[in-house]
Amino acid sequence: MTFEKKRSTSKQEIPTSSMPDIIFMLLLFFMVATTLKEVDVFVQYKLPEAEAIEKIENKRLISYIWVGQNGRIQLNDAIVEVEDIRDIMYKKRVELPNVIVSLRIDKGSDMGVVNDIQQALRKADARRINYSAMLKL
Amino acid sequence: MVQIRKKKNRDAEIPSAGMSDIVFLLLLFFLVSTTIDVDTGIGLTLPEFREDLTDVVPLSKDRLASLNINENGDVLLNGEVIAIPQVKESLIPRIESKIDLPKAKKLVVSIKTARKTNYNLYIQTMDQIKAAYAEVRLAYSQNNFNKKLYELNAEENKELKIKIPIIISIAEPERIK
Repeated sequence: MTFEKKRSTSKQEIPTSSMPDIIFMLLLFFMVATTLKEVDVFVQYKLPEAEAIEKIENKRLISYIWVGQNGRIQLNDAIVEVEDIRDIMYKKRVELPNVIVSLRIDKGSDMGVVNDIQQALRKADARRINYSAMLKL
Repeated sequence: MVQIRKKKNRDAEIPSAGMSDIVFLLLLFFLVSTTIDVDTGIGLTLPEFREDLTDVVPLSKDRLASLNINENGDVLLNGEVIAIPQVKESLIPRIESKIDLPKAKKLVVSIKTARKTNYNLYIQTMDQIKAAYAEVRLAYSQNNFNKKLYELNAEENKELKIKIPIIISIAEPERIK
């Protein structure tokens, strides 16, 4: 008696024809979700830690100011002086009325420079600020 | 005569088995290149800038909690030396006592720093103030709405913000004489 293996005549393949659609969906999702606005940070900074911190929901409203360990100030993508902040931020504020200024200030800084920046921001009328801080564990 | 025979190829398909690899490559690329760093921090709205401060109304003593931080890291709350971790505890009863008072009588927390004060100390103090307010707000929403803060609807949130407003004043830096 001979046994013959039963072979199904239908193709044994997972349908992969819709795979490109999945790729495009993934691609689209990441393209929408990614904010490709990389700024080179020229200053070295370590953020302070705090507990009662909140998230900023809208990333597109944020404009950054960095203050490094050596007291250098970087606004957006260039090193600036305190006196320049007012004009730059005023222009920014005209473009984007509800701009949030995120202050990424090194925790070893003096309050003097912070006060100067705050005064400049007040003069530029960009008054919504956020002291960037890490969550204390 | 050479017989030319057309090869019959029934499955004229582009091999799509490797497609999944491509998907994973794309996925990995974007996962690596995406920076999802949510900006966290302590939010604040600075006061409006005014050239002349002649028509300012002085605050009454019982409304004001004034914090002074000097360059050595000593903190004064209403003239008395206090350690930074105690700021929260001493502010909470004062905020709570003013929940039912009208808007013009709510507590104002004022922070004043010297030019040489360390920024980290300032943030720690700010954190304490924010934490005190958060605690009072949480207690209020638990007692009155029996909900957590994030469960409140818009109306309840509004009431909470009217009842317990966060008023933090950053004192005008003193002019260098």
